[in-house]
Amino acid sequence: MTGTIPTPTTFITENCAMPFCKGCGHTHVLRKLNDALMKLQIPPSKVNLVTDIGCIGLADALFETPHTVHTTHGRSTAFATGIELADSVLSDSKLKTVVLIGDGGAMIGLLHLVNAALLNVDVTVLLCNNFLFGMTGGQHSAFSPMEFITPTTPDGNIIPPIDMCRVMLDARAEFVARKLATDKDLGDVLAEAIQHPGFSLVEIVELCTEHATTKNELTGNAIRSVIEEQGQEFGILTNEKNRAEFGVLYADKNPRDQAFSASQKDDGLIPQFESKLKHQVGIVIAGSAGERVQSAAKKLCEAAVMSRLHCTQKNDNPVTQGSGFSLAEVILSPHDIFYTGIETPDAVIVVSEDGLNELYEKHVFDRLKPTTMLLIDSSLPKPHTDANIIEYPFRKEYGGAKAALKAIELYVQQSGLFPVEAFQTS
Amino acid sequence: MNHTYVPIKLRTGNQMIAEGAVKAGCRFFAGYPITPASGIYKSMIELLQRKGDLAISSPDEISALAYCVGASLRGYKAMTATSGPGWALMIETVQYALMTETPLVIAMVQRLGPSTGGATQGAQGDVLLTEFCTSGGYTIPVLCPSTPLECYELTVLAFSWAELLRTPVVILTDKEVGMTTESVNYEQLQLLHAADRISHLQKPTNGHGKAKTYEFTRLSDIPKFAPVGGLIKVTATGSAHNKSGELKKNDAETLEVLHHLEEKIRLRKDGLAIVKRDVDPEAETLLISYGITARATEEAIHIARKQGKKVSGLHLLTLFPVPEKQILNSLGKVKRVVIAEENLSGQYRSVISHLMKTQEVIGVNKIGSMITPQEILKEVL
Ligand code: SF4
Repeated sequence: MTGTIPTPTTFITENCAMPFCKGCGHTHVLRKLNDALMKLQIPPSKVNLVTDIGCIGLADALFETPHTVHTTHGRSTAFATGIELADSVLSDSKLKTVVLIGDGGAMIGLLHLVNAALLNVDVTVLLCNNFLFGMTGGQHSAFSPMEFITPTTPDGNIIPPIDMCRVMLDARAEFVARKLATDKDLGDVLAEAIQHPGFSLVEIVELCTEHATTKNELTGNAIRSVIEEQGQEFGILTNEKNRAEFGVLYADKNPRDQAFSASQKDDGLIPQFESKLKHQVGIVIAGSAGERVQSAAKKLCEAAVMSRLHCTQKNDNPVTQGSGFSLAEVILSPHDIFYTGIETPDAVIVVSEDGLNELYEKHVFDRLKPTTMLLIDSSLPKPHTDANIIEYPFRKEYGGAKAALKAIELYVQQSGLFPVEAFQTS
Repeated sequence: MNHTYVPIKLRTGNQMIAEGAVKAGCRFFAGYPITPASGIYKSMIELLQRKGDLAISSPDEISALAYCVGASLRGYKAMTATSGPGWALMIETVQYALMTETPLVIAMVQRLGPSTGGATQGAQGDVLLTEFCTSGGYTIPVLCPSTPLECYELTVLAFSWAELLRTPVVILTDKEVGMTTESVNYEQLQLLHAADRISHLQKPTNGHGKAKTYEFTRLSDIPKFAPVGGLIKVTATGSAHNKSGELKKNDAETLEVLHHLEEKIRLRKDGLAIVKRDVDPEAETLLISYGITARATEEAIHIARKQGKKVSGLHLLTLFPVPEKQILNSLGKVKRVVIAEENLSGQYRSVISHLMKTQEVIGVNKIGSMITPQEILKEVL
């Protein structure tokens, strides 16, 4: 670090009064967090504390020098992830972000914890587990031990507590620890967690003296044994550096300002043909999924644009995109196109049974006029309509995959909208 | 390639929102798939990753917006895109962005609701849900393009407003605007420039600088932005706070901050209004429209005039803050105001009808498909 930045003497506000109840574990946690930051001697401007809701969420007000971001319940890790994603990819600042979250928030934000661990962003989560919701009156949480008595489990909790450290291990977190708030070496473990490049989580088991101790025998060493009886271990459960941080992997895949590759070339179209079209026309093209109906319609649009026309194209298919009908609605016009729907089509092109059925479904044939050109594959039953029907064995002659394309080409020829070369060029 | 021509490209509204965002200096996008907004997600992945900027998938919409807020707090322009069901999940974080005065752009591509609704039919049913999603009813600027060109231009503008006002801004479109491919003449794209992120000067001199995170003098002033990670300490909070960002209950300065959140927008509302007026001074009917329905309305006006009818049009490109002055100025001799929108209750009509003191106000409403020019024309006498 440059000499101009003075060495911090404290991160926590000097002589600040802790707002927590007497004996509350949060007081220990925050003092140890200060010790950890002091040990690491990170410039305060490179430290960011993101707090959640609940008693532990009061922590931001107690830290004078680092950045603090006080967030919504359970979401703190998600905001922290966003900050660190931007920091690691878009800047070179190497900000250290520490999340302070309670056991209530950790369960709301479970997804955010899992995702931060999977991404391996440089976020350190201090999960302050006091088995309950302290601020709101001591209600039980997903971390409450079996038989735990709270206002919402008056006869004892019957739901087993979550082992968040184990969840984090399964989410491929590489630094996971469980400590007691009163552990002498807590500050050192927090320092190690913060220093760890990438995601880390320390579950700190502590007491809510206000709500947890009256009806439950939890003082002193009792909380240690409660945790151990749940089959949960204390200590550093993993400390590895096998996976690179997200930012490193991302930068490898996406180097800054790559040259445009051939596939990303300018896809502009050059007007080079003339069209005789005087009025707007609407064309409906119907076929089956996987038979290149919509890409053939796109070709029609490209040809129209090369012939100085304006165009719009709407596609439609069932929710499962790979089966059933495939539909395209194309409007071509020598002028600006306002309304993008087609009330009465000027042309309808049908090349498969799926397409035909869908047009029946949409009552398209009821809306045709005598001047409408209906191009239909010879294999299909002809609908009753006023339209001018042209049959052709598109499928037999060109196969399903080219039927729409060839039908459109025939339409372009028959209608004289623009030179057929435009369509062949596009 | 050496271009001596301006090409015409086939583009959807969604693609043009993405291109507009990149033009505006957006460097962070977090996305979660949802039709009809996924096109923006896909385009942003292509455009940003190519530059080495960050476009990333999130595990849900809540995370998507929270990631964007985080990135913006860190100092970078950020955007996400969603539709009604995703917006419903994001509302908590939209409020957080508003409260923390975090610049942000959200593209909301409407589809038919309620709930998961129709995937994917268009609709204009989320107008009120989008605007009135905050406790306290704070004004969120909402821009409403109807063409791919407008998608581009209004997105650039949305980023400017987000920066200049330090607030979340919404670009509200729908399936038909977002997913319809159209020919776009790039010559018509105005050479727009979006406001830059203006941060406090960061001098690495006396260590950690002090400044109030939400400092202002007049209620309408915009606090200067300082990024998390910069040399000026940031104290950001989504709870009621004073100018220093300290959590306070009901003290005078905290209430002042809450007033300020609304005043900074309200006092600028005339300048934040963009409308297209197509006025016939003799017209007794005025058609007010926005979004996809504005295009049917424009066509209806065209047909009506061919039939010798006198009619005026007012196409709103911004819905909120309500362009009151521009609406009032368009009323003139008008006796009848027709407002077409693709929802059942006339959502925007309910917001502006109080402005029409002497005029009859008629709604043209339906759901399930676009309102046609003919349906609007029926109301032009
Ligand atoms: S209520 Fe419990 S968690 Fe909250 S400050 Fe008091 S002891 Fe600590």
